[in-house]
Order: sequence, then C-alpha cells, then structure tokens
Amino acid sequence: MQDKQFMKEMLTDSAHAYKEGRMDRRTFLALCGASGIALNAVMAGDAQAAADHVVMWNWGGQSEECHGSAIGDAFTTKTGKGLKFDTSGPLEGKIKEMVDSGNVTADVADADLFNAVALGPTGHLEPIDYSVVSKDKTLPGYALEHGVSVILYGYAFVYDTEVYGDNPPQNWADFFDTTKFPGMRSLYKWANGSLEAALMADGVAGDALYPLDMDRALAKIKSIKDDSLYWGSGSEAHSMVVNGEVSMGMIWQNRGRNIENDTDGRYKLVNNQALAMPGAYIVPKGNPAGAAAMQFIATAQEVPAQLALLDCLGMTPSNPAAFGEIPEDQQAYAITSAMNIDKIVYNDPTWWGENGGDAVNAFLDAIS
Amino acid sequence: MQALRKQIHPGWLIIAPLLMLVLVLYLGPILNILWLSVTDPEPGLGNYAKLGESDALVRIIWTTLRICLITTLFSVTLGYSIAYAMVHCHQRQKNYMLTLLLVSFWISILVRTFSWLMLLGRKGLLNVALEDIGLIAEPIAFMRNELGVLIGMIHYMIPYAVLPLLVSMDGLDKRVMNASRNLGATGSQTFWRIYLPLTTPGLVASTLLVFILSLGFYVTPAVLGGGKVLMVAEYISVQLLVTLKWGTAAMLAALMLFGVLAMLWIMSRFMKLSTVFGGSSR
Repeated sequence: MQDKQFMKEMLTDSAHAYKEGRMDRRTFLALCGASGIALNAVMAGDAQAAADHVVMWNWGGQSEECHGSAIGDAFTTKTGKGLKFDTSGPLEGKIKEMVDSGNVTADVADADLFNAVALGPTGHLEPIDYSVVSKDKTLPGYALEHGVSVILYGYAFVYDTEVYGDNPPQNWADFFDTTKFPGMRSLYKWANGSLEAALMADGVAGDALYPLDMDRALAKIKSIKDDSLYWGSGSEAHSMVVNGEVSMGMIWQNRGRNIENDTDGRYKLVNNQALAMPGAYIVPKGNPAGAAAMQFIATAQEVPAQLALLDCLGMTPSNPAAFGEIPEDQQAYAITSAMNIDKIVYNDPTWWGENGGDAVNAFLDAIS
Repeated sequence: MQALRKQIHPGWLIIAPLLMLVLVLYLGPILNILWLSVTDPEPGLGNYAKLGESDALVRIIWTTLRICLITTLFSVTLGYSIAYAMVHCHQRQKNYMLTLLLVSFWISILVRTFSWLMLLGRKGLLNVALEDIGLIAEPIAFMRNELGVLIGMIHYMIPYAVLPLLVSMDGLDKRVMNASRNLGATGSQTFWRIYLPLTTPGLVASTLLVFILSLGFYVTPAVLGGGKVLMVAEYISVQLLVTLKWGTAAMLAALMLFGVLAMLWIMSRFMKLSTVFGGSSR
C-alpha cells in the first residue's frame, strides 16, 4: 500500500513537472514505465495525476459535446478546472467493478437516482456534500444521500400519424389497447418505465404506483406480448420507430423530440402520463478529483446549465427555478414545462434501488 | 539430478515463462469466476441450487441449447455442401468462392446483423418487394423473433463450418473414391460409405467449433430477437451490469465452461480429439 501511495505521489509530481515543462516527455514516460503504469492508463488517468480535471463518466454520443458546453465551460470559469470524459456508460455493475478494483478513474457518473439507492449503502459511492450542492435546486424527494437528480428524462411514447391520424392514442391505456389501436409496439427491455406504463394502462393512478404490483404489471405486459418488440438502447428504440417496425413506441422523451423533428412530425410524441425519471449525478467512492466533483454537480444545477442541457440534449430541467424559463419551442418536449408538468407521474428511485434487480429479471422472464 | 533431467525435457524450461504467463492470465480469472459463483452473495451452492428452483433459468438455458443445436445443424449441413462444391469445382471458381467466404467472414458481426434487418425486416427489401408485387398483404415476420436470430446466427457461422471441412476434404486421397467406383459402387454409395466417413474428423471439428461459438452469441440474439429471445450470454451481461447478481452470472458462466469441457470429454471417448484438430491419428 505504502508503495502504491509513493508511486502515485511520485507520478503526480512528475505529471505536474511535465506539464510545466520542467521534465521532458521521455523521462516522464520512463517514470511511468518504472512504476508499472501503461501509457494508456496514464492517458486515462491523466486527471488523477494532475488533479486539475474532473472526469465525467457518461454515455458518449452527443452528450460529450453537450455536457462540455452546458456544464464544463461554466465549471472551468468558476473553478479553473477542466472537464474530461469517459464515455463507456456508467452501468451499475461497471461502477461497482471500478470501485471494487480500487482503480477509480471517474469523478461524476451520469446515472440514475435508483443507482444511488442501490450502490450507496454498499459503500460504492461518496455521499453528496449538501453544503456545496443544493437540495432546493432539484425536485423534493430527488436529493438523496448518495445522489442528486440533475436532469429528468421521461418514458413517453411516439405514434405514427399515418396509422392513427384521425384518432390518435392519448395515454398508456390506448398504448396497451391492441383492439382499438392495432399494430406493433415497442417497450423498454429492462423493465423500467414499462412496468409503470402497464399499471397505468390497467387503471392504477399515477400517484399510487409504488410499490409496484409486479404480478398485475407483468400480466398486462404479457397481454400485448404478441404485438410487442423490446428495445435495449435509445438508438434501437429510435430505429424501430423510424424504420416502420412499430406503429407506436415507448421512448425517452428526448429521443421522441429527435424523432418528431427528424421525420417532420410524421411521428408524434405523447408526453401525457410520461414517467419522469430522475437522472442523477453520482460520485464513485474514492474519486480522483475529490471535492471538485461536488462543485461540478452544483454547477450543473444552475439554471443556465439546466436550460443548456435541455436545448442540447433534450434533457428536462429538474431545478424548479428553471421550469418557468423553458422556452416556447421546448414546451411540448420538456416534461416539466408548464404545458406538461400536471400530466406526468414521478418515478420512485427508492423502490427501484431496492427491488430493481428482481424486477428486471421477472420482466425478462415474462417477455422472453 | 540425472533422473530429474531425464524426466523434464529442457524444452519445457524455455517455454516455462510463457506457460506461467498463460496460467496466471488465463486460469486466474477463470478461478475467480468459479470462486464468485460459490461465494456471492453468500458462501455455498445457493447459486447452483437456483437451477432447480427457477423455471426462468432453465428456460433460458433450454432456449440457448435449442438455438445452438439448430444453428449447428444448418451451418454444418450448408457448410458441408459449400466445402464439397469448392473442392470439386475448378481452381478459378474455388478461388472466387473462397474470396466471397472470407469477405463475409471478415465483416463485423454488427454490420451483418443490421444488414439482415434491412433485407428481411418488416419494411425491409424483401417484404416491400413482395408487397409491391402483391404476393403478400402483411409483411412476413422474418426478423425480431427466433427465426431472425437463427438466420443471423447461421449466416454468421457458415464460414466457421466451411473452413475445417475444406481442410479435411482437400486432404483426401481422391483415388480412394475412384477405386470405390471401379469396384462397382454407385455414386451415392461411394459418398455415404467412403467420402462421408473419411471427412468425419472435419465434420466433428466444424460441429464443435460452431456449437461452442454459438453458445456465446450476444449481439445477434439481442438485436434480431426483438427482446423476446433471451440467450445465456445476454442474461449473464444483464446480471453483471444491471441487476448486480454477479453470483448468478458466474454460476451460468461456469456452467457453460463445464458444459463445453464435458462435451469435449464425451467426444474424446469416441475418437481421438487430436485428429479433429489436425494432429495425426496415430
């Protein structure tokens, strides 16, 4: 352990020296080699060595650019620290693996709030420092010990106007009604959102969903199984709709915005009864940049960052102060806009954190 | 010392570092998986007991085996005909066929999987064409079901089936077949009684190769199955990444490993495995 600590400090010093030009590249690399660190590990762990960056662990694609412009720039102005990305997607298992291996290279993970409930008590996450991060800048109930919701995304659905033009589906009950609305549908493969939608279709009120009645939800899911496909990623959901494989598809509301715009309105997004999911920023235990991660999260909570994330990624603000400032052209797509906020329902991250694993397996068993 | 030197060939000393490396890098993680399967979430055989308790697990394993068996049957049968054709046509055509085979062999599995969606999907080339000429009213569901998974997997596996068979057929002494005809056997008799038995090692090799590789398929079932075809590899990944049931994942991985080893052991009772993998039969 002592050795590891020494090596780390030695490398941190030499990284600073290299950066300031006091050490040449060859010597630096030789030191890296001597301490048994491969070059790419140095590259990836550059932030760790120099400690002047925060590494955000997100899902790649557009989010790299958007997180940079919406949060990164303001964060750099405020703290002088840069922002780097690991775009491999912080799935719960990967966070656990990273922390367990003792080689933590990410500071802030763009995850779900239920991940914070699942991984917090097992010691895989840093607690959120609420002297830096504000509990008032998110929805009540979405500021938890190990994670805070920074954005919301919604499980909504899109439908094909060429199929249901005159009499469009308006809620989850219509979505699950294959007699009135014949055609294929698509649902999310990993249970989330699909279970809630099934219960609402079966008549459960939006504010009485939790704890989820699994048997009832799965029975409803199975009732339209022959007319259903299941997607595992946003891009798959997108392509199932625009390639005409389904006439109605459950979709993340930000993807729904893209589909509506890309197809000039042929496919329409329905945000009625959308399930608001708290997307949360969580901090892996022992993150390299330490407390700077909290400053980063605080920056993301600010109204300008919230609105920029909406504009760039279509992610809905979770800071109530931003709700009133959602621009006119985003009203229909943001689930917390004045136009939609009374029609949506809220996910319970605690139920999902505690029961999610079993729920996913039961769901997979029901659909396969 | 003298005795020791006799027992250990000095050649072993030269490859010892490499062997150690393989042992550490290869056996280490495998042992770790085995260890996980009996310690997570609690020590004991609880994870293995789930096989008896959970219908879901048994169903997933059964789906996997069924799909792998059908894939193997079709890939090897088609592969056998292709290899047979390649061996018996002119060198020029053989080169063309080999090139085509290798090109499809080298194309990424993702590209091949998504191409099937474009060709055979609901709004794919074939369905649209058939609808336009009025042969069908509703699109045929080729994709996003078990049929789709099978089409994708068989297509992917055919090159793996052909290559061992090609080697085995190329090595045959053609005079044996001529002798058979000369002694009065018909063409089909010669095939069934001479040619097929002589190509058995190649047949077994390609069957084993295709079956074992099929067991680990992940992308094709996930994409072409439309979420309804759940095979072991995808289930393991979900248990690792989403539900954090690492014990279950490790148990299934161990089960696949032992399944394959058991299969090899059973095969070895009936034939010398070294002939299958290209060694001499002596």
